[in-house]
Amino acid sequence: MIIDFNTAALAAILFWAAGIVFGVVARWQSSLKIYSTICSVTGSAIMGAFIVVYWSYLGRPPLRTLGETRLWYAALIPLVGFLVEYRWRIDWLKYYCMAFAAFFLGINMQHPDVFDKALMPALQSPWFVPHVVVYLVGYVMLAASSVAAVHNVTLQLRSKPNAAGESVAHYLALLGFVLLTFGLIFGALWAKEAWGHYWTWDPKETWAFLSWLAYLGYLHAFRYKIDSKKLQWYLALAFVVLLVCWFGVNYLPSAQNSVHSYTRQS
Amino acid sequence: MAALRRRWFQAPWEFRESFVFAAAAVLAGFLVEYATGGTGIVKPRLPYNAVVLSLFGVLVTSAGLAFRNNAFVKWLGGIPLGLALISAISVLSLLGGIIPQGEPRAGTLLTLLRIDQIFSSWTFAVAVILFLVNLGLSLSWKLAPFSWKNIQFILFHAGFWLALGCGVIGSSDLQRFVVPVEVGKANNLGYVMESEIPQKLPFSVHLKEFSLEEYPPQLMLFDPKTEKIVTESSQAVNQVRKGATASWKGIEVQVLDIISYAIPGKDGIPIPADRNSGTTFAKVRIKKGNVTQEAWLSTGSPMLKPYAAELGNLVLIMVPGTPKAFRSAVTILDENGQSTEATLAVNHPVDVNGWKFYQMGYDEKSGRWSQLSLVEVIRDPWLPAVYLGLFMIMAGNLLFFWNGIKQREAA
Repeated sequence: MIIDFNTAALAAILFWAAGIVFGVVARWQSSLKIYSTICSVTGSAIMGAFIVVYWSYLGRPPLRTLGETRLWYAALIPLVGFLVEYRWRIDWLKYYCMAFAAFFLGINMQHPDVFDKALMPALQSPWFVPHVVVYLVGYVMLAASSVAAVHNVTLQLRSKPNAAGESVAHYLALLGFVLLTFGLIFGALWAKEAWGHYWTWDPKETWAFLSWLAYLGYLHAFRYKIDSKKLQWYLALAFVVLLVCWFGVNYLPSAQNSVHSYTRQS
Repeated sequence: MAALRRRWFQAPWEFRESFVFAAAAVLAGFLVEYATGGTGIVKPRLPYNAVVLSLFGVLVTSAGLAFRNNAFVKWLGGIPLGLALISAISVLSLLGGIIPQGEPRAGTLLTLLRIDQIFSSWTFAVAVILFLVNLGLSLSWKLAPFSWKNIQFILFHAGFWLALGCGVIGSSDLQRFVVPVEVGKANNLGYVMESEIPQKLPFSVHLKEFSLEEYPPQLMLFDPKTEKIVTESSQAVNQVRKGATASWKGIEVQVLDIISYAIPGKDGIPIPADRNSGTTFAKVRIKKGNVTQEAWLSTGSPMLKPYAAELGNLVLIMVPGTPKAFRSAVTILDENGQSTEATLAVNHPVDVNGWKFYQMGYDEKSGRWSQLSLVEVIRDPWLPAVYLGLFMIMAGNLLFFWNGIKQREAA
């Protein structure tokens, strides 16, 4: 079977781009709105289908390498945008989400993953899927929250009121934090079974703890009723910590012996 | 904006005072490290650490309840100080997340301040202790008078207190040793990671059998000049199966036949053999430009040379697949003569007498012919307390999620 990632990714990006263009034009010509929706959803459906095919080809969940997880983000982040539009009638989030997803696919096209069907023994655990999936969805929520916060900040700078947008960023951060907590604890419970101890200050663990603390701090600042406008800046920037944890750790001097580096061991 | 006109350290204290306090605490921690030459904290072991932690918990809770209207205690258990301490712990973790840990170099400032082993430094300990005070005080106010409305807060914060407190103070009781055992032999000596001197354990491990399964071997094109593997066109890792194909620029390879266990015969044609003496052979057809050739490849073994195919200045090789699973059948004999049979595998540790036995490694050079198994044994008497904390956090977390949704429904 031929896995043609580039074709699928290009098709998805084109559909998302068309969705964004139709969506923007639909502000003046509302009859075009339906095309925007169709194109956007088709883009995500293509990524969804690609993951299904890829999964069956590999014979294991494609959740092992960073490139594989980026596939999931690309499929899921726009979905959060669609759900937010459906639930709160906020239509701008999905544009950012689609642009974000296209960016992830772009990274994957620039750095093709060498796909390897083998799953090393430490990853063959019932914890593998819950740990990664919970983190994945959590990161998706926090990515969307950060994107919403950036939008809120730009509106703030133009002095436009935007309470609904701020509450979307907040709820996404809250959900993201809940999932981050589960991901962290699942990881600890798994580590005990696979590597002997639940916490060893492995660089990835340290950064996961840092990202967790960043959002823990946010929730307490929110609880203390710090001006929600200021907190939008915080939410927009908190994601930077998450990005380091997610992709950056491998490049840090501390990462030499990390169990999470996922580099091929051949 | 009355808050802005409030003078420094004029009650009620807020963020400014909290951040100054947290920064001073961190500085004090570094000073202690510097003064003691970066030797780090001395942690008491059981039962002393359990007594210390319990007393600490009781003290914080009773102080919280006795002085709940005192402005200073209120500040000590308040969100501003909590945030300042979260920031302090974050900054210290950030240092620990960037600077390689556990590689001290005598005389350097990083080692003198113990930044290269930050998580066992006085600095980190001071921040964690203050954080536990802050967390404990805020918890005491939600505990009494008790209300079910506070259950989510209590579960999350008490769970965090327990997991963090027990995890940190209990780490001195963590024992982990590596026990190397050869097939057919027993060993009761364990090695600590940093030391060459073995320690006698209260049990011995007898290795009956070690077995290793591999994924199918892989075809690779090797460039001896650059000593690099040439990446295949489709970016796939080529597992060798009958009929499988692989291609590199201008070179196409098809696997015609495969013999899982064989030894070389006359004229280079392999003869099937048993699992112990044989190794994998594959017959491949190689097409390069207009030239087609057939060749036998083999992964080799400790006893047999690998077979490769030369293609101009490149070499087509077959390397053993990565390990899929490895396990050790062992008998564990304790000091009372009680024996336990067990199979250890990665992700499947076995509990015996409060020790957990892990399949850790083997002699990787010998691959599936390894006669050595590395068994790791770990004892952590604090684990149940830490797990209780973690499960409380998860329960609180579920309620948090639930309430978050409910609030959203109401909005």
